[in-house]
Order: sequence, then structure tokens, then C-alpha cells
Amino acid sequence: MEDRLYDLIFICRPDTPEAEIDKLIATLQHSVDEKQAKLEKIEKWGVRRLAYRVHKLRDGFFVYMLLRSSHGELLKELERRLHVSDAVIKYLTIRLDEEIKRQQKLSKRRERRAARRPRKTATPAATPAPEQAAANG
Amino acid sequence: MPDETPSAPQQQTSSAPRHAGPSGPRPSGPGGARPGGPRRGKRNFVRKKKVCRFCVEKIDLIDYKKPEILQPFVQERGKILPRRMTGTCARHQRWLTVAIKRAQNIALLPFASEI
Repeated sequence: MEDRLYDLIFICRPDTPEAEIDKLIATLQHSVDEKQAKLEKIEKWGVRRLAYRVHKLRDGFFVYMLLRSSHGELLKELERRLHVSDAVIKYLTIRLDEEIKRQQKLSKRRERRAARRPRKTATPAATPAPEQAAANG
Repeated sequence: MPDETPSAPQQQTSSAPRHAGPSGPRPSGPGGARPGGPRRGKRNFVRKKKVCRFCVEKIDLIDYKKPEILQPFVQERGKILPRRMTGTCARHQRWLTVAIKRAQNIALLPFASEI
């Protein structure tokens, strides 16, 4: 099966110590490795303001991951872990690969269209204007 | 293609049949500041043609992780602005709503602002 690309974002309580977040990330990493998936990117966005209150909190520590996996069970497992963890207040996984495929298709089409008809408007419009100006003046 | 669609209805409204009588001054344009003043000139303003921002900037993937991109398409209270207000093309509006809803789910954008 083709590999799928997922975004995984989770928000921790702002007062959790960084070491605990690192530990949580390590456990997630471990289960990712177990399923032969690949963790392509991991970013700690730090404490950010939430748009609305979650568990009576106004701020949260955001962590973003990008992973490539061939089976969805891994995501189930990761979500279960995040759900169980006390520090995590919110999480979201999003499947990305189909959107990226669509984007590549569109940009390819755009390139092809640009190559087919090169610029035609700019030059002929610019040339007659000075002549008219010269005739009037 | 997206350039044609917004212009067509505007032309129709400006040449509405009920203004058929005093059609003399109209073709000269609404910009003409004549001494008579705008007597029945309630409608003589030029509507700016709106263009889809994502088409102009050639964005094919609207990133839900950047709330600053999505912010202009959301009302102060958190409502998603309609296409007729922002000028976004149908395709991009479809993706935009998805992106906004994702951002709402991860608390990057509000569902409804709390006061």
C-alpha cells in the first residue's frame, strides 16, 4: 500500500515541564518506529494563545509532527496515547497526501499552460502608446 | 475563467432597464463632476472588481496551520465570510472553508469569539 502522510498536532498544558513533553514525544516516537513508519518532521511551536478556552486554559504548548505511514492503526495508537495522557488537552490528526497530490497536479497543469502560451499582452500594448503621444504633441 | 464571472453580473446591474429614460449622461461615466450635480445619481459608483487572492498568489494548498492567512476571511465574531464579500473563487473558497474548520478544531481560530 502506498504511504500516507499525516499531520499530527497536539496541545499540552502550558505549565507542563519541557522534560515531560520530551518524554511524551519519545514514547510517540517509539510507537512510530514500532510500526515501521517515519517521523518526517517534528516542531515545537511553544506556548501559544488559544483561540478559545480549552479545559479552562487560555494558552497551550503546541507540538506539530509530520509522519509517513502505510497503516492507519498507528494513528489510532498515537491518538489513544494522547487521549490518555494528562498533559495533553487537545489533538488533531489530518491526512494530507491526497491534498498534496491534488496540489501537485494543479501546479503541473499551471506550468504546462504557462509554457504553451508565452506572454503576448505586454509588448504590443506598450508600443502604440508612445506613437500616439508623439502625434498629439 | 475566474475573471469573467464577477464582471458579468455587474454589467447587467449597471444597465438596468428602469434607467432607460435618462440614459444620456450615463455613458460619460460616473467620474464626471458636472455642475448640475448628481441629481438622480444614487447608483453611479464604480464597483471594484474583486479577484481571488489565492489565484493571484497561486496558492494551491491553503495551510490550516497559519491562522494569519485565514484571518481576513473570518468575521470578527468568527463567521466565515461568503464569497461575494471576499471575491474568492469557488474552488478556493471550498478549500478555504475546510482549512478554517480545521484551524478551529485545533484552537488556532475561534468558533465564535467570546466576550
